[in-house]
Amino acid sequence: MKKQLGKYSQQIFLFAAMVIVCILLTIRSEYFFTWKNIRNILEAVSYRLILAIGMTFVIASGVMDLSAGSIVSLCGVIMALALHGGMPVPAAVAAGVLLGIALGAVNGLLIHYTGINFFILTLAVSGMLRGISLMITDGKPITKFGQDFIYLGIGRIGEIQLSVLFAACFVLVSVPLMFHMKWGGYVLSLGGNREALVKSGIRAGFYRVTVHALLGAAAAVVAVIITARLNSAEPNAGMNMELDAITAVVMGGTSIKGGKASIAGTALAVLILGVIRNGLTLMSVSSDYQQWITGFLLLVSVLISEIKVYKIKALIK
Amino acid sequence: MKKRILSVLLAVSCMAMVMAGCGGKEDAPEAETAGKEETAEEATAGEDETDAQEEESGAAAMIAGVEEQMNQALGELPETGKGEKIGILISSTSNEFWGTMKTRYEEAAEELGIEVEVFEASAEDDTQGQLDALNTMIPMGFDAIILSPIDGTNLIPGIVAANEEGIPVINLGPGVDMDALADANGHLDGKITVNFEEQGSTVANDMISRMPDGGKVAILAGLEGAGQSVGRTNGATKVFEETEGIELAATQACDWDTEKAYEATKDILTAHPELKGIFACNDNMALAAVRALQEMENKDVMVYGVDYTSDAKAAIEEGTLMGSMTYSSSVYTKAAEEMAMLIVQGKTFEEPVYLPLTLVNQDNVSDFEGWK
Repeated sequence: MKKQLGKYSQQIFLFAAMVIVCILLTIRSEYFFTWKNIRNILEAVSYRLILAIGMTFVIASGVMDLSAGSIVSLCGVIMALALHGGMPVPAAVAAGVLLGIALGAVNGLLIHYTGINFFILTLAVSGMLRGISLMITDGKPITKFGQDFIYLGIGRIGEIQLSVLFAACFVLVSVPLMFHMKWGGYVLSLGGNREALVKSGIRAGFYRVTVHALLGAAAAVVAVIITARLNSAEPNAGMNMELDAITAVVMGGTSIKGGKASIAGTALAVLILGVIRNGLTLMSVSSDYQQWITGFLLLVSVLISEIKVYKIKALIK
Repeated sequence: MKKRILSVLLAVSCMAMVMAGCGGKEDAPEAETAGKEETAEEATAGEDETDAQEEESGAAAMIAGVEEQMNQALGELPETGKGEKIGILISSTSNEFWGTMKTRYEEAAEELGIEVEVFEASAEDDTQGQLDALNTMIPMGFDAIILSPIDGTNLIPGIVAANEEGIPVINLGPGVDMDALADANGHLDGKITVNFEEQGSTVANDMISRMPDGGKVAILAGLEGAGQSVGRTNGATKVFEETEGIELAATQACDWDTEKAYEATKDILTAHPELKGIFACNDNMALAAVRALQEMENKDVMVYGVDYTSDAKAAIEEGTLMGSMTYSSSVYTKAAEEMAMLIVQGKTFEEPVYLPLTLVNQDNVSDFEGWK
């Protein structure tokens, strides 16, 4: 039992922090703990959660992908052009998602076969993709799509927005995928123990490519949501979105070296950041505080896991 | 093991204290900045009191004149003292212009005896964040919402949601894309704005009046697709194109980004060394252009901006910036709040209400002490 608690200290910290933040906000604002506001929070975090889940897999595999935000932008732009060209909504969305998967897969291939450091490589890809978005659109947003497409961003089934359902699907599928299926196991060992994986004859390249393709798909779904919601595909969309995702993943307890992941931690981190954003808005406090709080949470959360490692080392001695 | 759990608890409680402290000081930073601004204003007022008493009353008279025009445009004045609660959504106080607007909104609300709360996005290009803020405002029980969207479409889902709740929506400044809003079955209840094309054309006319021999000019536009940028660019472009001897050498979108404006200025100057004038669609970009020109030791290019920020004012007085478009932000915000009150009290506005505009340049800047 105690061991379990120790293992999940980061998630426990986030959960406790969230409960405290929620209690404080409920006391300070009469609007915080209302269904409408909670619905707003869920809708605002939905797309961030989707990208962060994709990023959790990539970080679990021992690398990072700095091009995710640019993939969001390019997929949005391509979908917008397809829609303006008269393509039906399902076809345009499928094209966008396929493009996302392809771009992700290319990242995976490049990382696996060139051996260039993933940080440099995805940074370069990010710049190129953002540049393509800007070149295609001439820097201007592409706006106005039919109601059918907009529905994907703001439509609701009952009280629940589609984007929230998409995010829930991502979470529900990712847990068994990561922890109960061979694929997830190999992705984790790709990060934790790559040599053993290769020695046992597993094709590391396949897992490297598919894990990035999954992030590409997540980025494309994010593109669908934000393009539909804003009724506008902007070449600057998704700027720094990958950094927010990486922050949430690391805050949630996924090891930056790979090999250890927590979907629940990622979800908690995305949620608490969303609650804080919402709370600051409710109290009309300057959003400058948000950055400070995000940094502080990240620091404390990571410190807790580091203290753990230090203690274990001390025990071994 | 207990220690480990203890350390977690310790971190959590530390976190809680920070959050609590942060919440408690909620109003402090704003109060502080407001205070600073006041002292700054008093200081400037004090400096000029001895030798510029007349000028200051001149500015006050100008403001009164603009307010008079504005009241005529509104048609009637609202009943005060009903304590309406109005939510205001601006772009981001990271731009000084919106920081000033926020202060003016709060001052005007005090004068009118209403309650306002001002919300914002984290940055001037955070379209999604601004929509999130609007969605957060809707259940907060406001009698009306005044909003200034970052681009034409980003707030539309929120406006539709406000319509559904029966909250009147007034659009101040940069416009909502009316076609896209109609497509989404949304509507605005009022619109108060400056004529952005007029800002561009006024600057362009002043610029060419200082270029008797004609020559090349350039425009540094803002974020592509943003209403202010498009309007100002179009207004100026029209004047430049219609004037014989003036060549519009370049129009570069710099996304309100000073770094981009700085680089664009250098690039344009490299391509067109004989350039005579630059119109930047806001002062931040204009001042970046001024810095680039200073670095290139170019003293021949006239730079104009829009917004008349305090930095721009200093630069005009120094003679590095030629001019900047302004309007009275105190009248603007007050008129928007009066419009919101009138709508809450049952009046309807079919047509947009326009705010009178003024150009400050090196010749008349001394008349503008105390202008707000």
